[in-house]
Amino acid sequence: MYSKEIQKKLKDLGVEIGDSVRVKRGDQVHEGILMPKQELGDPDAIVIKLSNGYSLGLKFKGSELEKLQGHKGIGFKSSEEKTKRIAGKPLISIISTGGTVASRVDYATGGVDASYRTSDIVKTVPELGEFNIDSKFLFEIMSENMTPEHWKEMARAVYKELKTDTKGVIVTHGTDTMHFSSAALSFMLRDLNKPVVFTGSQRSSDRGSSDSFINMICSANFASKGDVAEVSLVMHGSSNDDFCYAHRGTKVRKLHTSKRDAFKSVNDEPLAKIFPDGRIEMTNGNYRKRCDGEVSLDDKLEEKVALIKTYPGMEPGIFDFYIGKKFKGFVIEGTGLGHVPTIEGHSVISRIREATKAGIPVCITSQCLFGRVHDFVYANLRKEFEAGAMFCGDMLPEVAYVKLMHVLAHSKDLEEIKKMMLTNVAGELNERTPVLE
Amino acid sequence: MKCGIEIHQRLATEKKLFCGCSAQPSEEKPIATVERMQRAVAGELGDVDLAALHEYSRGRKYRYQIFPQSTCLVELDEEPPHSMNGEALEIAVEVCLLLNSKVVDEVEVMRKTVIDGSNTSGFQRTSIIGLGGFIETSKGRVGIQAVCLEEESSGIVGEKAGEITYRLDRLGIPLVEIATSPDIKDAKHAREVAEKLGMILRATGKVQRGIGTIRQDINISVPEGARVEVKGAQELGLIETIVDKEVRRQEKLVKIKGELEKRFGKKKFGKPAMVEVTEIFKNSASKLLRKECVLAMKLEKFAGLLGEELYENRRLGTEFSDYAVAKAGVGGIIHSDEKLEKYPITGEELSRLREKIGAGAQDAFVLVAGDGKTCERALEGVYERTLQAFEGPQNEVRRVLADGGTAYMRPMPGSARLYPETDVPPIGISEEFIEEIRGRLSEMPEERKKKLLKVLNEELAEKIMLSENYPLFEKVVGELKVEPKFVATTLEETLVSLRREGVPVEKLNENKLMELFIEYKCGKFVKAAIPEILRYISKNAGESISSAVEKLKLEKMSPVELKQIVKEKRKSGKVGKALIQDIMREHRLRVDAEELSKIVEVYP
Repeated sequence: MYSKEIQKKLKDLGVEIGDSVRVKRGDQVHEGILMPKQELGDPDAIVIKLSNGYSLGLKFKGSELEKLQGHKGIGFKSSEEKTKRIAGKPLISIISTGGTVASRVDYATGGVDASYRTSDIVKTVPELGEFNIDSKFLFEIMSENMTPEHWKEMARAVYKELKTDTKGVIVTHGTDTMHFSSAALSFMLRDLNKPVVFTGSQRSSDRGSSDSFINMICSANFASKGDVAEVSLVMHGSSNDDFCYAHRGTKVRKLHTSKRDAFKSVNDEPLAKIFPDGRIEMTNGNYRKRCDGEVSLDDKLEEKVALIKTYPGMEPGIFDFYIGKKFKGFVIEGTGLGHVPTIEGHSVISRIREATKAGIPVCITSQCLFGRVHDFVYANLRKEFEAGAMFCGDMLPEVAYVKLMHVLAHSKDLEEIKKMMLTNVAGELNERTPVLE
Repeated sequence: MKCGIEIHQRLATEKKLFCGCSAQPSEEKPIATVERMQRAVAGELGDVDLAALHEYSRGRKYRYQIFPQSTCLVELDEEPPHSMNGEALEIAVEVCLLLNSKVVDEVEVMRKTVIDGSNTSGFQRTSIIGLGGFIETSKGRVGIQAVCLEEESSGIVGEKAGEITYRLDRLGIPLVEIATSPDIKDAKHAREVAEKLGMILRATGKVQRGIGTIRQDINISVPEGARVEVKGAQELGLIETIVDKEVRRQEKLVKIKGELEKRFGKKKFGKPAMVEVTEIFKNSASKLLRKECVLAMKLEKFAGLLGEELYENRRLGTEFSDYAVAKAGVGGIIHSDEKLEKYPITGEELSRLREKIGAGAQDAFVLVAGDGKTCERALEGVYERTLQAFEGPQNEVRRVLADGGTAYMRPMPGSARLYPETDVPPIGISEEFIEEIRGRLSEMPEERKKKLLKVLNEELAEKIMLSENYPLFEKVVGELKVEPKFVATTLEETLVSLRREGVPVEKLNENKLMELFIEYKCGKFVKAAIPEILRYISKNAGESISSAVEKLKLEKMSPVELKQIVKEKRKSGKVGKALIQDIMREHRLRVDAEELSKIVEVYP
C-alpha cells in the first residue's frame, strides 16, 4: 500500500492504479503506468511501469505527479467461460480450490495469490482440449489456510461430481496441505467407483516453466483413463518435465519445500507413472479398481483432535492445555519407533494414562515418517502401551490425525475406536512394509 | 540512420546475483542434467508476449547441465531466489555514477519473459538501477538511457532435433546492461562508443574478462526502415561491419517495397496455395528433394526479387529462408532465383513444377522438403515474410553471423514481456549509500591515463590502466613506494611472457604478488631474479617468497660479499666498466647493477 500522503495526492488528482502518469523529479521526467505498491516496498516511493516494461521506484517527496490520458487494467483477467461438450471426448470434472496451481502474481501482498481459475489453466494448456471439462470453482485459498470444514465441502463437491457421468474428478489444490485433504477425502468418500485426483504445482502457472501444465495433463489422463477408484495425488515424479506419479491419497507426503517432485509415496509404492503423452504405467498392483458401484459420502468429522510432536525437552503440559480445551483425541508424532519422553519432569506417560482413563484416545505415529511404530521393542515403548496408547503401524502422522477425526465422529467407545483406527480403510495401513529404495 | 547500443558485461563478484553459487564459469564437468519444457503464458498486463509465443510455437525440449560448484536449486528453478547480491548492486551503482546516470530510489526486480529456454524459470530477473546519463565521445555526447542489473542466461552447449542443451554454471552471474540513446552517428562511431563503455567498465576493476564476458546488442533503423535489434556481437572489430550491413539491408528492403508497389499497384497479394509436388522429384538426382514430402508455393510477380542482393552473400531469398528455419526448424528453402542446377533440378522437373503450380515467367516459387507438417510450417513462415516485403523492414531481433551479417531470430519483444519478480522485495537505495560509493569511485579512464603518463610511458600506461591488476599496482606503488615502471612491467609484461611460456601464473593471487613486492622492497633479491622466483612460486604456490628465494639461491648479495668479489676481480686486472660487466655476467640474478657501480666508484 502507498503511504497516506500518496494516497491522498492520488485521490486529489483523480489518479487510479493503472492510469498513465508523468512524474517529474528535478530535471528527470518519467512517464508510465502507475502500479500498485508491493507490501514490502517503501510506501513513500511510487512505482511506475515504463513503456519498455520496466518498473521504477521513485521517492514521492520532491516529485510532481501529473495525470495523462490512458488507463490500463492491471492484473490477469480471469474468465469462467463455459466450454461446449464435444461428442467422443471423455468428460472429466475439475474442482478448483486455490493454491499455486491456480495462482497469479498478487500486487497487494507481493506474493502469489490463488486467483487463477481452471478455465484459465485450460487456456494455457491446449492439451486439455482432448477432454470435455466440467470446471467448478469451489474456493480460492492457499492450502495453509484449509480447515476440516473445507475438507467437508470438498468431499461434498467431489461427491456431487462423481454422481454425474464424469470419468473422474480432479481437485486443484495448494500443495502444502494437499496430503491432508487427500487423506480426508479418502476416508469421507466410501466405495469409490472412479478416480479422484488431487493436483497442484510448485511453480505458479504465470511462468512458462510452471510444473502445473504437465501436472494437469497427467491428472486429466489419470482421471479419465486410470483404473484406480481411489483418492490419489498426481504430481511431478522427478525434477524433469518427463512424468508424474500418482500417489495413494493416504500414503503420500510433501517432503521438500520447493522442488517439483516434492511429493513422495511413504511406506508404499506409487500407484502409477503417468506420461504427458497419456501413457499410464501401473507401479503398484494393490489398488481399488474402477467399477459401477455407488459411491457414498460420510463427511462427519470430530474436529477437536490435536497432532503433537514430541522432542527433547518438550513440555508435557501441552496435553493439559488441550484436555482443558475439551479435545477428544490425540495423535502423537513420536521419535523413532514411536517414543515419547519418559524422564521425570518431561514424561508424557502420565498424560497418556490420564487421557486414556478419561476416554480420550492417544495414537502413536513416528516423525521418521518412513517405517512403522512398535509397542514392544524397548521398555519405554511398553510403558506407553501399558498407559493405553494405540500404536498406528505404518500410518503417517497427518493421516492418523485426519482418520482419528473421522473415527471419533462415529464412535465414543475407546475399544471400538482402537479397532477402527487399526483397521485399514483406504490404504492407510499396510501389513507389509515395502522394500523401497 | 538511428543507432544505439546495449552493452552486457558480466561482473566479477564472488557469488551469483540471487543465490550463493560461485559466479565463475565452471571448469568442471557437468555431473547430471535435467530436462524441461516451457510454454507461453500471460504477462503482468494480461497480454501474452509476442516474442514469447513465437518461441513456444517451436515446441522444443531443453536439457540443462548441472555443475557442482555453480548450480543449486535456484538455477534449477526448484527454489525461490535468495536476496539480491549486495556486491553486484554496489558495482552497478558505481557504473551508474561513472556514466552520470541517476540512480533510482527503489530497485524493482522484474521478470523478463524469455522462453528460448536459456532461463530455467522462463524469465530473466532484471532491474533498472540508473536512468539517464551520458559519455563524451569524439562525435559529441552519447546519452545513456538506462543501466540495468540482471541475471546472465545459461550458456548454450548444443542443439539437435528439437532439443537444446544449456549449461547452468553461467545462469545467474550478475550482468550490467548499459543502453545508450540512439545518438550514434555512424558505424565507426558505434565501435568507438562500445569501446569507450567497455573501458569504463574495466576501469572499475570489478568485471569479468575473457571471451563471452562482454556482449553488444545494436539497435539500428534507417529512414522508412524499422527498429532492428542485432543480438550478441562479441567482437568489437565486427561492430562497424554489422552496422554497415544492416543499414544496407534496410535500405534495400525499402527499395524492394517500392518495386513491389510498382508491380502490384492497388492489387493485393493473395495467399498462395501450398502444392504438393513430391511426385515430380520422386526420382530426382537431388538427395535434398527425395523426401517424404515436397511442397511448393508460387509467389506471384516476385520473379527476380528473391535474388536481389541486400549485401554481399545475402539475398531477399535468404531472408525468406530465415523465416522457414525459425518457424519450422528446416535446413532451408529452394527458390526460383537460385542456380537450380546446383541441387540439381533438371529443366524438365522445373517446367513440370512451374506448370503444376501455375507459375509463369513473372512469378517466383519456393520449394521445401521434409515431413508434411514441417513443410507446411516452413511455407507459412515464407508467406508471412512475403507479406512483410510489401511493408519494408520489420521490427525484429536478428542474430550476428560470422561475417558481420545478420539473420532473423524472432519478432521484437513487447513491454508485456516484463512483470514484477515478487519473490524479491524492492530494494530502497539511500543517498548515503550512493555517496559512500561516490567517495570511492574509480577514476574515468582518461583521468587515470593522465595520471599514469606522469610516471609511465604511453604503452605501459595503457596496459596497466585497464588491467585487472590495476588495484594491486596502485597499492604497491602507493603503500610500498616501489618504482611504478618496475611494478607495471612486472604485472603486465613479466607475468604475460611467463604465461606464454606455459607457467601457471594464474596460481599467483594478489597476496602472493604483494608478498613478492614486499620482499623486494626489503632487499631480499634483485629485479632480475623476479622471473625465476615467479616461475618457481607458480608451481609451488604453497611456499613463501622468502623460502623460494633461499631455495633458488637468489638472495641479493650483501655489500660485504660484493666488495669481496670486486676485490677478487680486480686482481685479474679488470677495472671500471669492464669490471662491472664481468661481475654482472656471472652474478646477474643476485647483484643490483647500480649498487655495484657505486661500490666500484667508491672503492676504486
